[in-house]
Amino acid sequence: MTTISTSAGMTIDDDGRALKAKFARAERARQIKAAGLVAPLLAFVLITFVVPIGLMMYRSVDDPVAVRAIPRTLELLNHWSPDSAPPEAVFKVLGEELLSARESGDLGKLATRLNYDVPGTRSTLMRTARAMRRGPAEGRSHRDLFETIDPKWRGGEILAGLKSLNSPYTRSYYLAAADLTTNLYGDIVAKPPHQRIYVSLFVKTLWVSLLVTALCILLAYPVAYQMATLPAATANLLMILVLLPFWTSLLVRTTAWIVLLQSNGVLNDLLVATGILGDEGRIQMIYNMFGTVVAMTHILLPFMVLPLYSVMKTIPPNYLRAAESMGAPPARAWLDIYLPLTLPGAGAGSILVFILCIGYYITPELVGGRTGQLISSAIAYHMQSSLNWGLAAALGTLLLVGVLALYWLYNRIAGVDSLRMGG
Amino acid sequence: MAKPPPCFGLPGRIRNIIHKAVCASVYLFLVAPILVIIPLSFNAEPYFTFTPGMLTFDPEAFSTRWYRDIWDNEQWLRAIRNSFFIGISAAVIATTLGTVAALGLSQASMPYRTAIMAVLLSPMIVPVIITAAGLYFFYSGIGLSQTFPGLILAHATLGAPFVVITVTATLSGFDRSLTRASASMGATPAYTFFHIIAPLIAPGVISGGLFAFIISFDEVVAVLFLSGTEQRTIPRQMWSGIRESISPTILAVATLLILVSVMLLLTLEVLRRRNERMRGIGI
Amino acid sequence: MTGPAVRFERVQKSYDGETLVVKDLNLSIPHGEFLTLLGPSGSGKSTCLMMLAGFESATGGKIYLNEESINRVPPHKRNIGMVFQNYALFPHKTVAENLAYPLKVRKLGKTDIEAKVARALDRVQLKRFGNRRPAMLSGGQQQRVAVARALIFDPEIVLMDEPLGALDKQLREQMQYEIKDIHENLGVTVVYVTHDQTEALTMSNRIAVFNDGVIQQLAPPLDLYEKPENAFVAGFIGENNQLRGLVKSARGGECVVQLHDGSLVTARCVNVAGAGSATTLSLRPERVEINPPDGKHPNRFEGRVEQLLYLGDHMRIRVSLCGHDDFIVKVPNASMHPGLNAGNSMTFGWAPENCRALEG
Ligand SMILES: Nc1ncnc2c1ncn2[C@@H]1O[C@H](COP(=O)(O)OP(=O)(O)O)[C@@H](O)[C@H]1O
Ligand SMILES: [Mg+2]
Repeated sequence: MTTISTSAGMTIDDDGRALKAKFARAERARQIKAAGLVAPLLAFVLITFVVPIGLMMYRSVDDPVAVRAIPRTLELLNHWSPDSAPPEAVFKVLGEELLSARESGDLGKLATRLNYDVPGTRSTLMRTARAMRRGPAEGRSHRDLFETIDPKWRGGEILAGLKSLNSPYTRSYYLAAADLTTNLYGDIVAKPPHQRIYVSLFVKTLWVSLLVTALCILLAYPVAYQMATLPAATANLLMILVLLPFWTSLLVRTTAWIVLLQSNGVLNDLLVATGILGDEGRIQMIYNMFGTVVAMTHILLPFMVLPLYSVMKTIPPNYLRAAESMGAPPARAWLDIYLPLTLPGAGAGSILVFILCIGYYITPELVGGRTGQLISSAIAYHMQSSLNWGLAAALGTLLLVGVLALYWLYNRIAGVDSLRMGG
Repeated sequence: MAKPPPCFGLPGRIRNIIHKAVCASVYLFLVAPILVIIPLSFNAEPYFTFTPGMLTFDPEAFSTRWYRDIWDNEQWLRAIRNSFFIGISAAVIATTLGTVAALGLSQASMPYRTAIMAVLLSPMIVPVIITAAGLYFFYSGIGLSQTFPGLILAHATLGAPFVVITVTATLSGFDRSLTRASASMGATPAYTFFHIIAPLIAPGVISGGLFAFIISFDEVVAVLFLSGTEQRTIPRQMWSGIRESISPTILAVATLLILVSVMLLLTLEVLRRRNERMRGIGI
Repeated sequence: MTGPAVRFERVQKSYDGETLVVKDLNLSIPHGEFLTLLGPSGSGKSTCLMMLAGFESATGGKIYLNEESINRVPPHKRNIGMVFQNYALFPHKTVAENLAYPLKVRKLGKTDIEAKVARALDRVQLKRFGNRRPAMLSGGQQQRVAVARALIFDPEIVLMDEPLGALDKQLREQMQYEIKDIHENLGVTVVYVTHDQTEALTMSNRIAVFNDGVIQQLAPPLDLYEKPENAFVAGFIGENNQLRGLVKSARGGECVVQLHDGSLVTARCVNVAGAGSATTLSLRPERVEINPPDGKHPNRFEGRVEQLLYLGDHMRIRVSLCGHDDFIVKVPNASMHPGLNAGNSMTFGWAPENCRALEG
């Protein structure tokens, strides 16, 4: 083998190249062995997680149906400006293509797709296609025929809408996710105020997440501090109180809050029984934003206590004693020494709570009522009810980008290895 | 005794009392909602609140009818079977893949360790609704939607990061000179793995597996998106129960689930202690 | 058996592909020898041991066991016993199970194993502790189990990497004798790593002094102390005055060296190049005589006593002499000199053969 001869001939004086090559070979063998162990899970995660999410993201720009169903119409519309009257040929070709789309089954998809951009036009397209079998009456233009089938063809809005579908890729789902749309000329404009939903929903999601994170810090700090300063045996017992909700089913915890907070629930009953409230004055504490915030804080609090506790446990009490021995009053020593040392734990915990909160679905959906729902509910709605998957994918992608940015930040601050949940 | 945090100007004793009171309220906030469910699940009336009879401990006001309800309801029984079937299958897959990966990740020579670790742990970070949406599209393309294998794979993906974390943490405390000692005494790498490494990391692997199980057992978003009526699990059944305003049967189910989590928590605590004792002062 | 038990031939080791932590190591270890690798921390001793045990591969060169190359033999086929610094006792097995482990691996019969384990426990005086877990033993007891475990499968060679490092001083000295005893009774070859020179000097047949991945000197303890071959060894083993100067003349194994302050010292040439070359004189503090009779030594200098330290059996004196203010002299308490007080000037002298002129 070659290695044997080179090793015999190698001396310290060699310029190190032989040494390096030999070393690199040994190192590579070790790397391959380690990578081989990781490979199965990596492949598994790629297939069941990364690829599906990639497909979802693709769906947020994927828009093949118009290009497939009405290619010739799109070609003609390319030369058309919405200021001028559309040429007769457009209607003629569109009529033919709608007819064949109806047979190939693309018509419904096209109509649904157009309806996303130009609301209320799905039926127009369906009706027009159905009528096309007969063709225009003697001496009348195709355009007349279209306009008699549905007066909506008059404005040029539908044609402008179709024209904007002239690429297999679209940005319109992202525009919709940002409460934007395009006008007849293809310029990006804001949606009319009553249709603006998602920007304020995103903003609301961020605010709720910030609020929940802040509440978690406020509640977790004294508790973590107490556990860190108590003897280990007592601290372990108290830790069980933190871990019990953590290990209890999410649905159970959500149910618990409904039972507690609903208007005929335990808390209201208690307030009425003690005379603080009249029977008429029961407070609505659930199925609104209040319910969401309370339940989310309850669910995410352990994620804040654990990192804070593990950081605090490593701060030797001697630091505070040293500061006090140098003449700092206890409060001062605490602010100057203890608080800064706990910041990494608080930072890691905050990012974690925030990440988990902005993407949470179950609890806001169940206890949020109409006002307490977050962006995830909109995604679920478009996935399951409206079936506007492109928009769901666009909203999901935006959420994902935000989460991944925070995840990156978390890794910079705390490192992936510190990501421990209740372990 | 806990050293109270300094509150400006207040004497230590009062500070201490305030601190304790604050902590006690936080513990109450954490635990009370869960504990309230338990007595309510024995309510004789179909209400979600304490009846006057319950408050006076009238035996008539209590009953186990909601538990019998579960027993008599084929839907709940099937949900229970499904939950255990899916949870155990997903945990087995996640534990196997996660443990093997953790063995690789804890070697010094692992290339791109941080980046790969970040990818492997991301299913835990990415909102489940996004994962579920992605899988929904993916599965409908390959015929896995509304099937058990589809759900099991999805839950294995969600649970694997917890196994990776738990087992790498166990391995990071593993003394490499033990494997060297074993080899110096003539044991092959395989013998060393089964007689030295495996027994020592077993507690970590089991906790990882329990983690993966509870993740699946408690998961509902993926189930909402990917299951049909055949694959309904306990959380999915509770979801419907809560939405469609319901019988207190879900309180009975919730109580049983609390029992499950208490048992898991105790098991984990036992494993942790055992692990500490085993590697304990030995060094 | 003829030939050495172990031979390193031009062995090199690098962990990062850039720097060599072991450079061109050549070393033969005869059967039955107790060889110690001694050197400061980070000098590459453990690395050499790990290469011999097979846990690290040699980046260059070859290692022979009974004149057969073992570069490609995996650790578990080398039949080399090893005692680790932290003992590496298996925490989940009892003491007896730990001892039985190498025998089980070798598929010995049950009765055989039991007999051997009992004998091993007896040898290290732990008969009653067979059923305990390692965590329930004291440090010294764990150490004994580790030694017994490394020997129970009758390896020809036993490696020990700072095995006594974690013990307190008294226990350490006791264990030194026990290990030495075992070595003499069993006749195994021992390669022992330590950074403690006393340990090395008391236990070894030969010592290899390591620095920076290179063996500085390989010699029996007595030679190492009395005849260091270079400034590093002289400085590392025992206390030592080092005086730097230039060789004025050299003749018949003796040379005259001019120190920086101009004083001339007659010394014994060990490895200096000749007149004009730089040299370091090495002189043991206990070889310096106070107020020697006139004409006894060619080296006689006036010095000022700076500091006296009482150390029980002897006195340590710091002196300003020949331009050095940290010249150390040691005298036994029995031979106290009148007038030995801080601030006094006195005469100091030494014989040329006790003052070694070393390269550099
Ligand atoms: N596994 C390793 N990876 C990288 N460098 C190492 C490793 N082990 C030792 N070294 C380096 O090699 C040098 C020699 O180490 P070592 O053989 O342990 O010295 P000693 O046992 O004499 O204290 C040191 O500089 C140390 O930092
Ligand atoms: Mg070492």
